Amino acid sequence: MADGDPVDLPAPPDAQNRPRIGVDEWVGQVEDRREHGPRVRLVNAWNELHLAAKLAIFVGPAAFLPFVVSSDYWMQVAVITALYAVLAVGLNVAVGFAGLLDLGYVAFFGFGAYAYTWLASEHFDLHWDATYAIPTVVVASAALGFIVGLPSRRLVGDYLAIVTLFFLFIFNTLLLNADRINIPFKEGSINFTRGPNGISTVDPMSFFGLELRTLDHYFWLSLVTFAVVVGALYLLNESRTGRAWRALREDPLAAELMSMPVNRLKLLAFSIGAAAAGLTGSIFAAQNGSVFPVDFDLTLLISLYAFVILGGAGSILGVAIGAVTINVALELLRTPENASFVFYFLLLVAIVAILRRRAAAVLAGIVVLGFLLRLAAEGVKPSWTTGEDRGLTWVDRLVEDWVLLPTDIARIDDVAYIGLIAAVLALLQLRGFVRLAALVPVLYLAVFVWQNVLVIQPSVARYIMLGAMLVALMAARPQGLFGTPRVEIV
Amino acid sequence: MDWTTFIQLTVNGLTLGSVYALIALGYSMVYGILKLLNFAHGEVFMVGAFIGWGVLNLLGGAVDPRVPVWLLITLMTAAAMLGAGLLGVVIERFAYRPLRNAPRIAPLISALGVSFFLQNSVLILYGANFKTYDTFTLVDPFSGIQLGGVNVWIIRIVVFVSAIAMMLGLFALVRYSRLGKAMRATSFDREAASMMGIDVDKVIVKTFFIGSALAGAAGVLVGLVFGQINHFMGFNYGLKGFTAAVIGGIGSIPGAMFGGLFIGLAEAYSAGYISSVFQDLIVFSLLVVVLLVRPSGLFGRATIQKV
Amino acid sequence: MQEKPGLKKLAAGVAVALVGALALTAGAVAKVSGPASPSASSAELARAQANCRSAEIGVAAPLTGPAAFLGQEQLSWAQFAVRQFNQSRRTNFRLVQGDTQLSASLARTVARQFVGRRNIMGVVGPSTSQAVISGAGLFEAASLAAVSPSATRIDLTNGQFRTFFRVVPNDSGQARSIVAYSVDTIKATRAVVVDSQDDYSTALAAGLQSAFRARNVQVDRESVSNTTTDFSTIATRVSADAQVVVFATQTPAAAQALSDQLLSQGKRAVVFGTDGAFSPDEFKPRNGFVSGFAPDIKASRTARSLVAAYNRFSRNRTFGTFGPPAYMSATVLMTAINAACRDGRATRAEVTRFVRITRLASILGGTIRFTARGDLTDPDWFVFKVTNGTYETVG
Repeated sequence: MADGDPVDLPAPPDAQNRPRIGVDEWVGQVEDRREHGPRVRLVNAWNELHLAAKLAIFVGPAAFLPFVVSSDYWMQVAVITALYAVLAVGLNVAVGFAGLLDLGYVAFFGFGAYAYTWLASEHFDLHWDATYAIPTVVVASAALGFIVGLPSRRLVGDYLAIVTLFFLFIFNTLLLNADRINIPFKEGSINFTRGPNGISTVDPMSFFGLELRTLDHYFWLSLVTFAVVVGALYLLNESRTGRAWRALREDPLAAELMSMPVNRLKLLAFSIGAAAAGLTGSIFAAQNGSVFPVDFDLTLLISLYAFVILGGAGSILGVAIGAVTINVALELLRTPENASFVFYFLLLVAIVAILRRRAAAVLAGIVVLGFLLRLAAEGVKPSWTTGEDRGLTWVDRLVEDWVLLPTDIARIDDVAYIGLIAAVLALLQLRGFVRLAALVPVLYLAVFVWQNVLVIQPSVARYIMLGAMLVALMAARPQGLFGTPRVEIV
Repeated sequence: MDWTTFIQLTVNGLTLGSVYALIALGYSMVYGILKLLNFAHGEVFMVGAFIGWGVLNLLGGAVDPRVPVWLLITLMTAAAMLGAGLLGVVIERFAYRPLRNAPRIAPLISALGVSFFLQNSVLILYGANFKTYDTFTLVDPFSGIQLGGVNVWIIRIVVFVSAIAMMLGLFALVRYSRLGKAMRATSFDREAASMMGIDVDKVIVKTFFIGSALAGAAGVLVGLVFGQINHFMGFNYGLKGFTAAVIGGIGSIPGAMFGGLFIGLAEAYSAGYISSVFQDLIVFSLLVVVLLVRPSGLFGRATIQKV
Repeated sequence: MQEKPGLKKLAAGVAVALVGALALTAGAVAKVSGPASPSASSAELARAQANCRSAEIGVAAPLTGPAAFLGQEQLSWAQFAVRQFNQSRRTNFRLVQGDTQLSASLARTVARQFVGRRNIMGVVGPSTSQAVISGAGLFEAASLAAVSPSATRIDLTNGQFRTFFRVVPNDSGQARSIVAYSVDTIKATRAVVVDSQDDYSTALAAGLQSAFRARNVQVDRESVSNTTTDFSTIATRVSADAQVVVFATQTPAAAQALSDQLLSQGKRAVVFGTDGAFSPDEFKPRNGFVSGFAPDIKASRTARSLVAAYNRFSRNRTFGTFGPPAYMSATVLMTAINAACRDGRATRAEVTRFVRITRLASILGGTIRFTARGDLTDPDWFVFKVTNGTYETVG
């Protein structure tokens, strides 16, 4: 080893005497270690806090939300977001802690919802108090998680993923078709789930006779659930079981050789995740007042995985933040007016953040280009500037006075859209000054496409934007917001 | 024993199964080399179907084709394969290459993003209505061969035969050509392969191209046989193709072929003989049993893990 | 490695942007959703007047996802209706989209969004029966009228949702009409009923099954997933002596595919599609039948100029059976809002009252009037015979 070269050695065990991770991880985190910015300081400070303090900081301000927000719509979004955060944290147990790809997780959620419905609705005419119904549902879900986890003893990795996925499909099919189950020795058929029509007579939750009636109540219940689940999982993660899970995740063979009960650990991960999902499912059913099979399908699973991975699998806080951010962002994009705001905001911030000092020049270039094109069009082909208003907000009107707005966008919109995609991809290949110069017309084209094609269809544009952002985010930060960078030797 | 029903169901199963197999091949190939589950593959299949439809309409549509039918179908398939292949290459370049060294779960989200993007782009460009290939106008529904009392439509034969041909071609490519050797080497040990002078990036690009081209061909074939395409079709077919790849043993090419046919036949027989209501249930339960009995898939090699 | 820093900055920029957008809109939301308790009647009055100046209509339909073809067609016709109404009556209505995506939970969220949006005075939708169950209760609590162009489940108008109306007949008449035609005219002795595993078709299929049994017709029940494109196996299951296959689906393309498969397998049964399969552009078998709640609008002479105008508006977008009812829903709402606004101010309850007493000529023929429970007063079911793609009213 050459002298004199400063070498960044792996750090010694930390203040809580937890051993640092292995060399590969260290290599992967080298870039993060070089950063000394405010983000790293903030994260380190956060990591030093006690669990109770962390929960208080996270949950405390949220508890005041019902007093600040009086719109039922946003309270509904808040309740769903809180529930999804709990779900994401539960999924994190199997995926993040133990490294098992559980693609059937939503089935436990659905099971919890339907189980609660059976116990507290008009369907079987049982009206259990939530104090008895909820523990029953949680235990039943954990048992189901255990059963689903049994194949994990023989199957690894992607094969286990596929079996859990099949379980989800089986569950969904059962939900859709279990309204005509014929029991031998009995006349007629039993209607378990009322098929696609769902059960819409679910009782509101009542604890010891006190009923939860308003959205605010359910929101506080969800927050309490979140705190309890997060607290329990955090303690579990810091215990021997958590360390065993981490070992299992990093290298299952080595863990087994170190005489860890690998099978039991896997089953435990499945069961606990399922229990959390079942609990959430019961609150979801009670809050909605109805359950339908269509709510528990692959689409929700995809969202949950997005929360977990974008937030950083393995980090409870990251996953919770991921759930909150993405869910709220999707809801923000749902209101057509917000779509334009978000788009232009993102565009401006991206330009400024990437280009820094050259941003002003590029922006000026785009504006000038726009005016030039508009003048040219007014002279040569006026129909290109007389289209009707498409957007709904002042931002749209402002931009529409500046950008080309053809009256008849018949073929132009398809060509422009595909052209924009091709242009952006080509742009990523260029370097240096050429890139900067090319940025101007490409950004203009982006604004053109937005105002003429996408803003008319906000629901579809939402998903296009979401898709593009997911790709960009993962390319930039594959470990998610709060995940630890990991290197996998394949 | 009702032979007509059996033959009919077998024909159905083989047609559908060969399409699943083509899609599964793409999954298996990519997984073999990169250990990556390319969940955007179903959308590449869908784009291939739309490219085929576009070419069909460009050349006059089913009602008044300007070229002979067989040339038309060949052109559609070729265009779809080319287009889908290029799309696969672009996806690899921009969505997966930056994640080459990231944990395997990260490309899942990237694939999801690509999937959302493609699905909804097609929705915006083409609209939400189903588009039809109108194959019955193109090819007489009663033309075909008689097989034991059952009339097997010629398009079904075309689909099956071309799928098998493509699969055999791929098998030969992997087995006997230099590119195939490079692919096998890369999938065995990527670092060693690059040290032996194989341009790993190029091999990966070519793998993606071939896999996606097969999916594009599958898209056109599906359009021809079943007539209707829609922006959401990639979801289901992609899922079934992925299932077929895993059942056959992911990473194994014969496995993907066999897995696809297996699933197609299982669907046909369970719906035909047992119940159409519980068809999905039966098929999935069967697949769970298969995986429990053979944990690495039907053709999968139980890999020896080096400690 | 050269790319990494740029992309990292991009990610940082995006993250900052997301948080910023969140903050921005949180602020906007907090401003909009101020204290809900009305302080004085002057505030209510101002609100009622504002409602008339900037009235909006919500559309709750599946706009993305597997049912997008349904929702997008309804949206397109609703947009067309708003444009026509604005042009002819010089009003200023606007349309707000709410994507329910076939999810009951999302339908509830969209319902809350619409209720919370002060300017919305009426809702076209929800399109699916499940969405109605989820969301109509919220509309009722806010006295917001919801006029659905396609939710046909019978129990939706049993009195549980007092502000829910529909401009299409419910399914109770459809099963009877189909069975009557099959038995009396086609002389069917064996039939197959196929559902597509969603809330629309399973209820209808059950009704069809029992109606067939009541007429002593041997009936087999089949089921396909609503995303299936391969109907060859269902066609195989259809027995050789069945004369009619009643297919309850909302995807005309699926009915066409089933018909193709039956033809190519040499089965004699013809496909009888329910109203969801009505689409001269997509369901055009050589031989078949389709049930509908209105005559084909494209064949109607009175609606010809309207159809031409729609084709110009939508750039010749194909449409089937879902669009025109959405047009009627929107027109019913706008007419009611206009009537309520004659004195310069209107509340949602007032608009709902006017919807209840609607009497409007329908572009599909006849007049739209609602019963006390929200159904049409004189629903009519038609049977169309399809020959090589041409639709002909026969029943």
